[in-house]
Amino acid sequence: MNKRTVELELATPGLDAQGRPVRVPLTVGGTGGGEVAGQVAVEPGSEHMLLNIGPQHPATHGVLRLVVELDGEVVVRCIPHVGYLHSGFEKLGEYRHYNQIIPLTDRTDYLSPMANNVGFALAAERLMGIAITPRCTVLRVIACEMSRVISHMVWLGTTAIDLGAFTPFLWAFQERERIYDLQEMWTGARLTTSVTRVGGMMADIPDAFVTGLRHFTETFPKTLHEIDGVLTRNAVWVGRTQNVGVLRREEAINHSLSGPMLRASGVAYDLRRDKPYLDYETYDFDVPVGEHGDVYDRYLVRLEECHQSNRILQQALARLPDGPVNVDDPRVILPSKSRAMSDMEAMIYHFKQVMEGVKAPVGEAYVGIENPKGELGTYLVSDGSAKPVRWRIRPPSFINLSSLPKMAEGHLLSDLIAINASVDIVMGEVDR
Amino acid sequence: MAVGVKVMKRPGSATSYVRATLKGMALTFRHLFQPKVTMQYPEEKSTEDWTISSRWRGTHRMLTDEQGRSKCVACGLCPQICPANCIKLVPGEDEQGNRYPLIYEIDEFRCVFCGYCQEVCPEEAIHVGVHYENSEYSRDRFVYDLERLCAQTHPVSTLWDPSDPRGE
Ligand code: SF4
Ligand code: SF4
Repeated sequence: MNKRTVELELATPGLDAQGRPVRVPLTVGGTGGGEVAGQVAVEPGSEHMLLNIGPQHPATHGVLRLVVELDGEVVVRCIPHVGYLHSGFEKLGEYRHYNQIIPLTDRTDYLSPMANNVGFALAAERLMGIAITPRCTVLRVIACEMSRVISHMVWLGTTAIDLGAFTPFLWAFQERERIYDLQEMWTGARLTTSVTRVGGMMADIPDAFVTGLRHFTETFPKTLHEIDGVLTRNAVWVGRTQNVGVLRREEAINHSLSGPMLRASGVAYDLRRDKPYLDYETYDFDVPVGEHGDVYDRYLVRLEECHQSNRILQQALARLPDGPVNVDDPRVILPSKSRAMSDMEAMIYHFKQVMEGVKAPVGEAYVGIENPKGELGTYLVSDGSAKPVRWRIRPPSFINLSSLPKMAEGHLLSDLIAINASVDIVMGEVDR
Repeated sequence: MAVGVKVMKRPGSATSYVRATLKGMALTFRHLFQPKVTMQYPEEKSTEDWTISSRWRGTHRMLTDEQGRSKCVACGLCPQICPANCIKLVPGEDEQGNRYPLIYEIDEFRCVFCGYCQEVCPEEAIHVGVHYENSEYSRDRFVYDLERLCAQTHPVSTLWDPSDPRGE
């Protein structure tokens, strides 16, 4: 039997008993033993080739590494390697107060930081049994939908670039910059927003924000129509995306996909509709679903979601109530600066809260929200102290990525790029 | 109230290379005559559409009192809240029993610019600032000591400041 073995270092090398890095054999030829992660066994005598894509490759959308077994141009097998951006957020969270965790959530899915902040704050509030104010609810809806727009715009731009269309990228990023300007106006940061606090928001929106966002919602559909105009009926785009990376309904459900990936396969499941939070059930919007479950349908679904987010933003602006943003509870919310500096009692609360943090009762809480990429779950376990014992993120793009090997099988190598792009991964979230 | 489901139909009419290319070119050319959105940084630092937000959370600045001493009373709140653990504070006490910082250092490399230090400071001493050009020639220049923090002159963020009542 003609057997060749290529030794390959694992993405995150462990050490063996001798202190040498563990290497995983990638065997070509021979029937191969049991399947090991990272091990590719190929039929004897075949001309299959192993190709390594990434982790430093622009088309893998971050530090994702794909080991691909090729028969000519056709992908026989594709094994994603993750972990290059592992930052240990969940563990770090165990050593931080609930409010101190919020800057960490910015950095998981860094294309939709505001929605992550909201997801974490909702979970912490469920754990502590806090009901937020009406104004805060609407502000959080605005935060979530702004995130959805920028995340889908980045997806659209980068995917179009991967498939050779450069112009939509510029238009999409221009829209994203406009949202970033609004985020900057609100939170003082473009990317690392940290906009929520347990029981409220970091700050109320400034006066110019509403005008700015209204102007955005009025002009944004124009860009969407332009993108629609250059891509939807373009034969190149259609040829590269239709019937590529098809996932049927059952497969999508079995892979436990969520978000646009699941909906493009024809399953109308959207947490905003099916497990409403933040009063989403009171807004008028449609959940777009696809019919074929290919890359093209994912594009159609995401483009339509941008239109729907725009509708939600307009409704949220119209109903934005006045009133306080934060709950009125000195154990949870820091007193305002002027009160803390003049009123002794407020000052004491201020010190006590900063030094001890917000205590949560013993228990656990899970909140899933519909992030741009799918269901972002936040699971918190508390032992009664001010820090969670366990903070677990259900990362939508990590779970969506698990369907990549299945989708890529039998497609051309160049289609693999389109399929990988259509998953919409963010490595910050995949590796956490 | 209506959350509907919308099935995304594929466009029925035929796709084409030529028409799509021409249409794309027409659109792109139309964009040539629209107002420019780019900014000539660093010659230009703000445009009509954009000036940096007054809430910007950038490199720190320590405010001083009339005698030029830092306002910090070494209460210890900011090192406690800092999620990046990048503030080093050693408190001291003068003859009148006033507390002041013997050592106050912020490692701007570890800082995540969350602004929590400003949010919790009861003396309005430490602030994040409206400033973003921070290049230096060596790494240790990024540990800002008290003297340097007090010497900064850029405006401070209006978040958590009574001057911006909506900012809490
Ligand atoms: S901005 Fe945040 S990370 Fe930076 S010093 Fe202040 S509290 Fe620490
Ligand atoms: S919170 Fe303010 S007063 Fe207290 S140690 Fe920090 S800078 Fe000084």
